[in-house]
Amino acid sequence: MEYENIIDKNDLVLVTGASGFIGYRVVEGLLELGFQRVRCFARSSRGGNRLEALAKVDGVGSRLEIVNGNLLSPQDCASAATDAKVIFHLAAGRGEKSFPDAFMNSVVTTRNLLEAAANNGCLKRFVNVSSFSVYSNQHKSHGKLLDESCPVEQSPALRGEAYCFAKVEQEQIVLEYATRRGISYAIVRPGQVYGPGNEGITGRVGIGTFGIFLHLGGSNTIPLTYVDNCANAIILAGIKHGADGQIFNVVDDDLPSSRKFLRLYKRHVRSFPSLYVPHAISYALCYLWEKYSEWSHDQLPPVFNRRRWHTYWKSTRYSNEKLKERVGWMPRVRTEDGLKLFFESCRVRRTSA
Amino acid sequence: MLRVAIIGCGKIADSHASQIGRIKGCEIVGVYDREPLMAQQLAKRFPIKKAFSSLTQLLDEARPDVVHITTPPQGHFDLAKTCLEYGCHVYVEKPFTVWADEAEKLIAIAKERQLKLTVGHDDQFSHVSRRMRSIVRNGFLGGSPVHMESYYCYEISKAGYSGALLGDKKHWVRRLPGKLLQNIISHGIARIAEFLVGDSPVVITYGFTSPLLRSMGETEIIDELRVIIHDVDGATAYFTFSSQMRPGLHGFRIYGSKNGLMLDQDQETLIKLRGARYKSYAEKFVPPIVLAGQYLGNASLNLKTFLGNDFHMKSGLKFLIESFYRSIIEGTPEPIPYREILLTSRIMEAIFRSLSESIAEPTRDYGREHAAAVV
Repeated sequence: MEYENIIDKNDLVLVTGASGFIGYRVVEGLLELGFQRVRCFARSSRGGNRLEALAKVDGVGSRLEIVNGNLLSPQDCASAATDAKVIFHLAAGRGEKSFPDAFMNSVVTTRNLLEAAANNGCLKRFVNVSSFSVYSNQHKSHGKLLDESCPVEQSPALRGEAYCFAKVEQEQIVLEYATRRGISYAIVRPGQVYGPGNEGITGRVGIGTFGIFLHLGGSNTIPLTYVDNCANAIILAGIKHGADGQIFNVVDDDLPSSRKFLRLYKRHVRSFPSLYVPHAISYALCYLWEKYSEWSHDQLPPVFNRRRWHTYWKSTRYSNEKLKERVGWMPRVRTEDGLKLFFESCRVRRTSA
Repeated sequence: MLRVAIIGCGKIADSHASQIGRIKGCEIVGVYDREPLMAQQLAKRFPIKKAFSSLTQLLDEARPDVVHITTPPQGHFDLAKTCLEYGCHVYVEKPFTVWADEAEKLIAIAKERQLKLTVGHDDQFSHVSRRMRSIVRNGFLGGSPVHMESYYCYEISKAGYSGALLGDKKHWVRRLPGKLLQNIISHGIARIAEFLVGDSPVVITYGFTSPLLRSMGETEIIDELRVIIHDVDGATAYFTFSSQMRPGLHGFRIYGSKNGLMLDQDQETLIKLRGARYKSYAEKFVPPIVLAGQYLGNASLNLKTFLGNDFHMKSGLKFLIESFYRSIIEGTPEPIPYREILLTSRIMEAIFRSLSESIAEPTRDYGREHAAAVV
């Protein structure tokens, strides 16, 4: 099956968050594919150091343009979006615990960029990189398939998770600009992106908040996607026909269970005590926390609640069929190999810490 | 029902909306931010009647009795002045204003119009701070303070606010005369100002950029500050701000001629320091046991307060807002005396002026020091 590009290799593409964990791999991927004009937008010159190093590689410098700025500035957005045919928008307020900060760094920035792109007039596609965290997963029974048709969280603020709130609102603003200003878009929702550069254990496996690692995932499948695979999916969603107005979930094949992931992590990175909490108990604890938080007017913040449990700790199956069918994506790095690279990176990080 | 509005819908506005929601007899009738999306997101998450896209629209349509100003400090003076001129009582987040003369002007307008003003020094109203104030008032120190030590530290990290600040050369904090310090130290300075009697203490300042920040290429931000304050009655105070020391303390010690007190804001503990000594070896054994007992008492009190559902992270903010509203409704004195607000502003301005003067001629290649007297 032929998957044609909507732009040619001499067209300008913009990558925001280009110095980030996934953004940098998107830049590398675009260069590998032969794109001649890749504009990288990064917030600070400090974060852009490795981009500058990349620009010094033979044959890359003339193809790479590094722009430092802040997406909160409409002027910076206008400069960045000028002449861009495809925008890969990866910059976001990750790791923000505050709702306003997460919102500002994900939604206000996205609005500024969309406005600049709409005014620019030559954009062919805006790729918004979102997250699995937008799915509610509430009204499905255990073990059911989560795909692109599943509902998004209707009251994201109640999840008690700033990132989810910001991502749901960010998608809304993309859809609004698609309707109001005719912006052509694709939304990519990666699962848990892992690989060298992001060495933590995902909360879907468990949490270490209370002194001992609570293993909450059990036999659940963990929706992993290796960073290079994810970057490739984002690129294809941006350049291929058939992706317009579509949403794509990104997960790799042969996904491990939470239990298997934890066992491998302990074997290959470090051993530590963990306590398995069965699903019924973790659900009950989330329910109690939620109720206490409500009753006490947030004396304990509502960070654990049933909505969060449904999203992260309920047994769920995942699919990448749409991505394969529509844009011809295939995971380049097998999960087995990806995990080896990840664990090796974790070991190196621990040794150098 | 007291009608409340919030101007500025960033991070601290969340704390305000949340604590106002816990106070009976008031409602948030409107919020405004110059970025309409920010106002909308706040209104979506809290019981707020309407998000407004202009300040005059908020004041005209929502007609608030009280306005909370939670914008960056550069906007505080103009916004507070406008709100006072509309006849609203105003709660201004810290730092009160950028310059001390702006603080004087706002207070003058509030007095002239018989309106109330306060500043967001909510740390001074936490449970432990209130306990300390009560003990001091009961004469535990044995008279006026002889010496005070105030610590207000801030851990610099790459994430969140400090990450955004370090990564953005145009960040609004960098445009403040005192930069990072101006946005943070007022809690720690206000603790000292509360116990000063004169209006013109001597302020000696030493500040520098930490080796860590310098290694990251940062040259503008001063993140290590030491201040000595000398009051007219002879009382002295040290103020320490550090981004590097661990633990990053938020604490206050106050010593009188008889006894002292040691407050730890992070742990919410208050320890009485006995001035008299035990005889001989008893001094080595009895005080540690007494201190252990006091720490146990603090833990027990904290647990009791938590179980009583009054130990929220921002309980000081709720108390301050509640006290401010009460002062409006009942006509009682403001929770923070205007003199204290002004003195805090003046001390801070003296610190920043001395730092900025010494920037032109650094006395050492890595540091900046200067002595200044508040006029």
